[in-house]
Amino acid sequence: MQSWRRKSLWLALLTSWLLVLLGLFPLFRLSVPTSPRAGAPQGWPHWLDAELLQSFAKPGELLEDGPRPPQVLRGGSCNWGACFDTSKCRGGGLKVFVYPAAGPVSETRRRILASVEGSRYHTLSAAEACLLLLLSPDTSTGECDPVPPQWDGGRNHLVLSLHPAPCPRTFQLGQAMVAEASPTVDTFRPGFDVALPLLPEAHPLRGGAPGQLRQHSPRPGVALLALAEDGGRWHVAGTDFSACPWDGRCEQDRGPKQTHPGATLPNATFCLIPGRGPDVLHFLQALQAGCIPVLLSPRWELPFSEVIDWTKAAIVADERLPLQVLTALQEMPLTRVLALRQQTQFLWDAYFSSVEKVIHTTLEIIQDRIFGPSAHPSLLWNSPPGAILALPTFSPSPSDFPFYHLQQGSRPLGRFSALIWGGAPGQPPLKLIQAVAGSQHCAQILVLWSSEKPPPTRWPKTAVPLTVIDGHRKVSDRFFPYSAISTDAILSLDAHSSLSTSEVDFAFVVWQSFPERMVGFLTWSHFWDEARGGWGYTAKRTNEFSMVLTSAAFYHRYYHTLFTHALPKALRTLADEAPTCVDVLMNFLVASVTKSPPIKVPYGMWHQEARPPPLEPGGPGLRQEPQPAAQNCINQMAAGFGHMPLVSSRFRLDPVLFKDPVSVLRKKYRSLEKP
Amino acid sequence: MCASVKYNIRGPALIPRMKTKHRIYYITLFSIVLLGLIATGMFQFWPHSIESSSDWSVQKRSIRDVPVVRLPADSPVPERGDLSCRMHTCFDVYRCGFNPKNKIKVYIYSLKKYVDDVGVPVSSTISQEYNELLTAVADSDYYTEDIARACLFIPSIDLLNQNALRVKETAQALAQLSRWDRGTNHLLFNMLPGGPPDYNTALDVPRDRALLAGGGFSTWTYRQGYDVSIPVYSPLSAEVDLPEKGPGPRRYFLLSSQMALHPEYREELAALQARHGEAVLVLDKCTNLSEGIPAARKRCHKHQVFDYPQVLQEATFCVVLRGARLGQAVLSDVLRAGCIPVIIADSYILPFSEVLDWKRASVAVPEEKMSDVYSILQSIPQRQIEEMQRQARWFWEAYFQSIKAIALATLQIINDRIYPYAAISYEDWNDPPSVKWGSVSNPLFLPLIPPQSQGFTAIVLTYDRVESLFRVITEVSKVPSLSKLLVVWNNQNKNPPDDSLWPKIRVPLKVVRTAENKLSNRFFPYDEIETEAVLAIDDDIIMLTSDELQFGYEVWREFPDRLVGYPGRLHLWDHEMSKWKYESEWTNEVSMVLTGAAFYHKYFNYLYTYKMPGDIKNWVDAHMNCEDIAMNFLVANVTGKAVIKVTPRKKFKCPECTAIDGLSLDQTHMVERSECINKFASVFGTMPLKVVEHRADPVLYKDDFPEKLKSFPNIGSL
Repeated sequence: MQSWRRKSLWLALLTSWLLVLLGLFPLFRLSVPTSPRAGAPQGWPHWLDAELLQSFAKPGELLEDGPRPPQVLRGGSCNWGACFDTSKCRGGGLKVFVYPAAGPVSETRRRILASVEGSRYHTLSAAEACLLLLLSPDTSTGECDPVPPQWDGGRNHLVLSLHPAPCPRTFQLGQAMVAEASPTVDTFRPGFDVALPLLPEAHPLRGGAPGQLRQHSPRPGVALLALAEDGGRWHVAGTDFSACPWDGRCEQDRGPKQTHPGATLPNATFCLIPGRGPDVLHFLQALQAGCIPVLLSPRWELPFSEVIDWTKAAIVADERLPLQVLTALQEMPLTRVLALRQQTQFLWDAYFSSVEKVIHTTLEIIQDRIFGPSAHPSLLWNSPPGAILALPTFSPSPSDFPFYHLQQGSRPLGRFSALIWGGAPGQPPLKLIQAVAGSQHCAQILVLWSSEKPPPTRWPKTAVPLTVIDGHRKVSDRFFPYSAISTDAILSLDAHSSLSTSEVDFAFVVWQSFPERMVGFLTWSHFWDEARGGWGYTAKRTNEFSMVLTSAAFYHRYYHTLFTHALPKALRTLADEAPTCVDVLMNFLVASVTKSPPIKVPYGMWHQEARPPPLEPGGPGLRQEPQPAAQNCINQMAAGFGHMPLVSSRFRLDPVLFKDPVSVLRKKYRSLEKP
Repeated sequence: MCASVKYNIRGPALIPRMKTKHRIYYITLFSIVLLGLIATGMFQFWPHSIESSSDWSVQKRSIRDVPVVRLPADSPVPERGDLSCRMHTCFDVYRCGFNPKNKIKVYIYSLKKYVDDVGVPVSSTISQEYNELLTAVADSDYYTEDIARACLFIPSIDLLNQNALRVKETAQALAQLSRWDRGTNHLLFNMLPGGPPDYNTALDVPRDRALLAGGGFSTWTYRQGYDVSIPVYSPLSAEVDLPEKGPGPRRYFLLSSQMALHPEYREELAALQARHGEAVLVLDKCTNLSEGIPAARKRCHKHQVFDYPQVLQEATFCVVLRGARLGQAVLSDVLRAGCIPVIIADSYILPFSEVLDWKRASVAVPEEKMSDVYSILQSIPQRQIEEMQRQARWFWEAYFQSIKAIALATLQIINDRIYPYAAISYEDWNDPPSVKWGSVSNPLFLPLIPPQSQGFTAIVLTYDRVESLFRVITEVSKVPSLSKLLVVWNNQNKNPPDDSLWPKIRVPLKVVRTAENKLSNRFFPYDEIETEAVLAIDDDIIMLTSDELQFGYEVWREFPDRLVGYPGRLHLWDHEMSKWKYESEWTNEVSMVLTGAAFYHKYFNYLYTYKMPGDIKNWVDAHMNCEDIAMNFLVANVTGKAVIKVTPRKKFKCPECTAIDGLSLDQTHMVERSECINKFASVFGTMPLKVVEHRADPVLYKDDFPEKLKSFPNIGSL
């Protein structure tokens, strides 16, 4: 009885304890995960004697690892420091000599030659040159050139081949750099060779077709993916991605087929380009179309990879994970899609759209290597307007340029320099100088004296310093980067311009919001003249405009540097011969850089009524109808640029309360409202 | 636990007839067990307060206790490294698989001690730095304990210094790792490669396909896009406390602090010093130091003794010359001192050069040009020098400072290769925090004028003012570029009028019903919006003429990245109250436009709905106000640009309120709006709004010109 009792008691106890334990156990478990690696022997252990461990290197080992003499170059391998002699480039910077072609010249070759000769680096003497350019033989001629005379083991040579060479080279490359289209990653020597894009035969010499992107965001309903097919065609994939549409393995499931004939551009958000295929032409097509290239394990080096950050414009993915890539594309945030799309267009326009741009980019890369520390920073290569249009010689700091204030978090300097171009005998332009000097933002007045006669000895006393610079007698001199210009903003004026202080003040405040554009008072507009089959322009008042006259305009001083150092000499000569052309040229230059129209601010009509239109032939007149000779200059400029860069605008920027029905006393720029 | 206490009370009552002796026995037994249980429970519930978690949970072990593995003399040796390896040929990407977080998983082999046939250790078990490195990896998000799910494997065999190991035996140790598989997806860390006499620039241990994170690669051994070039860690980083010294002119222009230099280089440096005098300082080992002073911390020039690395802070440029090895620990010290490294080591692959832009922080001079180094450096302008000093220091802080920084940067680089669509950008790698903070990257940066033919979509937010709404619809439909009209019906209690009652217009009209009466509904990125341009318009804005709206659209086309609107407003700093104030009077300046009538890019709808910082969206919906101010903040913050006000000021029928109840209401309204500005400025952490003094008018506005010939004659009429 008792034993039974005891047994039952033990049993009851046991079960109750079991219950208690079972009830508590989950609680223990709950409490455990608060420490991440509790109780687990995995993870990297915290050793008890970690403190006692030795360092990976003995005390002296890091400091002296046995000195070694300078190494001799290993055969075949070259890098910039060892194989390029920069001492030849000192002084004149990069000077390029091209070996003249022997025998008949193909069209592509002619284009390359023309673009090198048109560049600012070209020289006619092989002795003076620091880079010797050897064009690799063409497909059409089929002959292989002999070793050139100044070969010297290939030192300081660049062997340029836009198309794969048709015949084996008859000589060793030696120390020469190779610039070829889509080189394979295995033979490419980073930092020494240059990777070029594979250009189609009919690529234009200059200008080139603009990017196809017309809007920032993809159109609703546009295909997500286009797939590169043989022969420069694209296959726009449907929305059904149940299988791998590019693989060939699932041929039966191809979705709606829209094969584009010939070399039409793809219309999709992403363009899938297999890395194995030799048809890398697809890459440029995608860029032009604003279709984000998705490269699957490319075996070739991306063009200009030394300087262009392709992660901003393309996606290089692994071909072995197609579905994962697809999911990533579908889920890509809109912000990144927008950024990639826009970058493709910027890169196309800046570096790829013409043979000239490709050649100039190549030379610019070599020049950057020579410059070393004063080369283009990455920002200049990878954001508009691009490195060809942003000269590193202007300033080492991006915030000195008009283009990068947003990225740099900087602002243009808050003052301007007035640059008065004059040379007319007689009195100095008193009224103008006083009006300009009266502006609170004016830092200095520079008079560019360009007449045979000596400048007047007496100048009006002004609150700001006035300097007379003795200019040459060429019209293009007014856009020379004079070192006396100390501010970011320049107010360019003619001696016979007429402005009021408020007009100057307001225009300058507007310019500070648009430091990359020209802000002017008087405007011209260009138009396509059907009758004459060319461009024309007019000074008539119209509802839109595309140029502002530089006889009264604000712009950034960087444009002086660009005008003098980047424009082809032929265009500047043209402007010197037909002086009204200089306005057209400056407007072309700024528009081709900014791809935006200039800005017009209000200008009192009373200025014109107050003085008769100047008749002086040398100065660009106010409101003069351009002469027929000048009319032709716009066409010559358009030919020189390879396209028409001007953009029209339909608005004028006025002060906020301009002509509003409110007390004049409230208005800051009240004198602008004079009739 | 409650239950157990009850048992404690009830327990004895169940056994009343037991002998007292037994009873006491049971009670004691019970109490002891119970106490023990409670104690255990207490430990389990408050382990953190009692002991630190790591000590409690992670097994404490000594390195002396790690298992020993004996390697037979004939065990396999991996093949030598394959120089043609690339990610798509040698790396097994399938192991990384699909991963929603786009993060690779890294497994670390457990620590073992390897001995050869006769019991002689293959290498020192693990160095302090490698232990730190593995700890850093194990503590990071990359780490996994599950070998089957790992995509990258890190052996715990310490390869940091080749001199501290036996090459062939170490290779055998690698080959017997459980997932070795020819080294696929294995990552090896090495800082000091090669050994005397010819000092290879990559680790000599045969490693087949394994990835190598090496310090001191040359162009010949580095497999571009496969290997990772890492710095040689300088132990001084942790040992010495060196307060940061800002950029600026320094005492010496050029300094050389390395001790082991080839006589040829030293001659070259001495010649530089002779030519440029005080500006150049060439330091050497101290020969006459008294005992006990660590030689590593002193440098001498003739009889002058300098403290190292402090002396580096006295120089603008510091020479980093190639020794027998290309990678030099001095690079880390130099960067830390904010001294700009002058790299004289042809073919050296700089640390993390795949992602870091070394041009911004260093100057590379070819060995051949060493005699010109002074003039090369002199040509760099002072502003650029200061920029480079700042950049050098930032590189050290971010990527050189500790073993952890080096390990994580290496893993990030590999991660970015595997998930390129989620990779970190150039700016994220290279811009110092101060630059990142101040810079704006406009999401619509491409200068582009969208074609006029695209037109715009008008979005009218309405509650129940049907009559006024219909008038707005009729007016807006007269604008030539209108391509679609979207009515957002924000009233859940009332159905929109019957289809037949709506005005007949020439473009499609869609009504969207909302689930809740929220102001944010106005800015939702509806699928129905097919154009890029959106005109947000209130259901009571009937005073805008067709010319004015068309002109507004034309202006937007020239500024697709901005808000282009009609009534303009201003924010002002109230000096008395020290806060922002909202201003709607006739001012000469504008910093906001009301979205009761404004054009903008539809992308901003996406941003407003999904990327609005902080709690602004909820705040707006709760207050039923200020959605327009929020939109102005958002756009200005993301683009860094000002709004464009178009056309002269009009008498808007109380554009911001629904009823005119006199001055008092107007004032509370202004107070509320001011509050919004202050609230938003605090959420954004800055005041992004930009003040401008201009507005856009047609070119010939108010000009003495025949009205008939103007494109937009009907502008500004009241």
